[in-house]
Amino acid sequence: MLRYIFKRVLIFVPTLLVISLLTFAISVNAPGDPLELLNKNSLGEGRSEDKLASEKTYREARHTYGFDLPLFYFTISSAAYPDTLYKVADESQRKTLERLSWKYGDWNYVSNWYLQLRTLEVLTARIPPVGANAVSLNTVRNDVYQLYDQFEERKICFFLKEISTVVSDSGSLHTLLLPAYQNLQQSFEDIQVHATPYRKYVPAISWYGTANQYHRWLSRFLQGDFGISYQDQRPVSSVIGDALPWTAGISLLSVILAYLIAIPIGIHAAVNKGRLSERIGTSSLFVLYSLPNFWIATMLVIFLCGGDWLHVFPGPGAAPVPDDASLLVKIGTTSYRLILPLICWTYGSLAFISRQMRGGMLNVISQDYIRTARAKGLDEHTVIWKHALRNSLLPVITLFGEIFPLAVSGSVVLEHIFNIPGMGQLSYEALFSKNYPVIFAVLLITAFLTLLGNLVADIGYALVDPRISYSGKKK
Amino acid sequence: MKANPVDMTPWNSAPPEKLQGVVLPARRFTYWKLVIRQFRKNRLAIWSLRFVIFLFVIAFLADVLANEKPLLCQYQGKVYAPVFRNYGVQLGLLRWPAPLVNAEWGTLAYDWAVHAPIPYQPQNLDKANEHGVSPFAHQHVRSMRWRHWMGTDELGRDVLAGMLHGTRVALMVGIASMGLALIIGLLLGALAGFFGDEGLRISRARLLLNVLSSFPALFYAFGSRGYALQDALADSVTSFLYQLFISLGIFIGFGVIGNSLAVLFKRIPILNKKVRVPIDLLISRLIEIMVSIPILFLIISVSAIVTKPSLLIVMVLIGLTGWTGIARLVRAELLRIRHLEYIEAARSLGFRELRILLRHALPNALTPVLIAFAFGVAGAILTESLLSFLGIGVPAETITWGSMLSMARETPSAWWLALFPGFAIFLTVTTYNLLGEGLTDAMDPRKKN
Repeated sequence: MLRYIFKRVLIFVPTLLVISLLTFAISVNAPGDPLELLNKNSLGEGRSEDKLASEKTYREARHTYGFDLPLFYFTISSAAYPDTLYKVADESQRKTLERLSWKYGDWNYVSNWYLQLRTLEVLTARIPPVGANAVSLNTVRNDVYQLYDQFEERKICFFLKEISTVVSDSGSLHTLLLPAYQNLQQSFEDIQVHATPYRKYVPAISWYGTANQYHRWLSRFLQGDFGISYQDQRPVSSVIGDALPWTAGISLLSVILAYLIAIPIGIHAAVNKGRLSERIGTSSLFVLYSLPNFWIATMLVIFLCGGDWLHVFPGPGAAPVPDDASLLVKIGTTSYRLILPLICWTYGSLAFISRQMRGGMLNVISQDYIRTARAKGLDEHTVIWKHALRNSLLPVITLFGEIFPLAVSGSVVLEHIFNIPGMGQLSYEALFSKNYPVIFAVLLITAFLTLLGNLVADIGYALVDPRISYSGKKK
Repeated sequence: MKANPVDMTPWNSAPPEKLQGVVLPARRFTYWKLVIRQFRKNRLAIWSLRFVIFLFVIAFLADVLANEKPLLCQYQGKVYAPVFRNYGVQLGLLRWPAPLVNAEWGTLAYDWAVHAPIPYQPQNLDKANEHGVSPFAHQHVRSMRWRHWMGTDELGRDVLAGMLHGTRVALMVGIASMGLALIIGLLLGALAGFFGDEGLRISRARLLLNVLSSFPALFYAFGSRGYALQDALADSVTSFLYQLFISLGIFIGFGVIGNSLAVLFKRIPILNKKVRVPIDLLISRLIEIMVSIPILFLIISVSAIVTKPSLLIVMVLIGLTGWTGIARLVRAELLRIRHLEYIEAARSLGFRELRILLRHALPNALTPVLIAFAFGVAGAILTESLLSFLGIGVPAETITWGSMLSMARETPSAWWLALFPGFAIFLTVTTYNLLGEGLTDAMDPRKKN
């Protein structure tokens, strides 16, 4: 048995690794810049000294959070792929440069173009826009700004030409900017002259070692450091710590409720099979099972929580309990608000479990040993509740493995409807605001718990049923 | 080795009346006939099937049932069929005649016109009936024909039209995504179940060359064509599919080259040695990984990446994540079938493994797949409505049952927005589930009599 458990736990590792890679791949490809969430003003729009200063803070933030590292241990790409691209801070500039390098096939010349462009930008930013030069200076700044996002030859030439006319027309700018402009012009000509477009068909591998974003994130994660939530800059573990009690509490309560109600119902349905009352009961359980919980939740909120109809329950949302209230008051206020969520959480699994229970019971009571028990003269109550129940509980136990992880990931949509600040709501908001540290943590924890739940269910199965043994040869 | 000319088709697909003197049961007792007979006895299942057919009819005719354009009309002396012409315009085959370009269909002065039963499209904004008009309340409409039978939403859009067109979205997502899941699930489940861990033996040359050729295949098919694919996706779905087709062609091309080279290299004795591929282990691990990922999360996070939401992406995502159930069933079924005697017989007759799998083993494993398909469609429809309820992945201008239901949250007094779409989701999902239950019962050998 221990050997079996060990083997199963060993399989966790590749599974979780794949999930972490998947999440990482998603986060890397997600549009938008997480740093902008961290500090909304870090990328100033002004194009002067302010911008240079804000760019500096942006670069520093990028370094602190490790975004200036390469993404992964290696890249398998073409020879045209820019292998030091990750050093460029701005996302849209990165995309343009990647495309340029792709088109012309040589990153060395393209990166030189980028450096020349930056030199010119810094130069223009340092010149104060005063006097007659202000207009032409602004034109140059604007053109440089535009050039960062262009990869089509025609458009690049257009902006280069515009800079050239402006620079040669105005006297003082001429001396200041001409060398930088000539370098820029030269670097673009270099790109064109040395174009090697065939290189995009030559595969190349570049190796970055362990100094990469994935490694950094994973190694910290394993040490229990889940990172910092981009949205409110709190540690992810404390954000999850706040949300987890809500979800776990409601889910646990609903699971217990579901089992407590479902098992007697299932047994009753099996024992009275064929009667009209049972048939109605079983069909209504089926209907209950197929009712989409987000529909029922919406209907309950609309009809029972104010609006134009009954105002039996307060509006959706966790109760604003004052911190100094006594425990009883806290429980009182909260529990009243939790009645509707609890109903929506429970009825589906309730129907599911009782259907399974009925099936299991039906299987068992048609067996010989039950007939023997009846033939011995035992009363029906003992036969059902003592002899049959234990064996018919088997399939219901395995269900726990499926319900367990749900207790943590929570129901995204139900928490959304009832406005409960649990894990589901947390991850929903995190997904919309690209708060990837939180998403990573929730996804990995849920996946881990799913695996654990399956394992616990399998072990429970073996404990209840002595016929099942995992220690022998592989199934 | 030459195959023995005895017909080895399984007896349920095309039963020969006589096989070496043994008289087989007559044709009417085939497995499928039994299943169908059993299924017919289940009244609930039959009604579910009828309802599903009804839904398909609605989905198919949605444009004819609810449309602001007339079905047939005469305008300025000429006869048009705008609803049907619209199909041609959308496919790029036809163009609107000059007087009908950007026409305000509702207010045109037709000579005569045959209108659709509901003269609205789900996107039409009825300015006179904004802010959610109840189906029973007074409506500012010209005549009964223009009445909103299921009310309107906040923007004045007709709910009934949205319901009818939503049927199309729901069924399309359900069937298409499960179709994709079916392909993946059948393929992987069949490989895992039929070959197991011992059954798949291929020569070292073939294994090596397949692994080696997969790298350049991926690189040239997708890596170096990344921008071509990306630009095509931004352009339109058709051009993306075209580019994807080219990529797949390149990919398959490399596979063909690798495998033809393998035939040559097999002449070298060391490379011709057979290796065991534990395909069952690999696929089972893959299934386990897929099952332990919170699927809804995955779909939500992937659709958060996509800058341009589209139904196609939702379908592909549901399909790519929904195949595990089918794969498990096919695997379990084939694990059983591969030890049956007729497979042994086919093998001893010298048939190739692939032929045995495709012609003899797989057809007998298809029945449980049908059950999984029915349940899968129910799940896919539920997932789609959940996604559009949350406003994820499905484009904002596409009206679905889920998106209408979510509007009810913003206008709590509009009970009709919550009741009708939600009931449609419930009914459709239940029907597919009942269909699945009915099939399960019909295929259960214990209930055969």
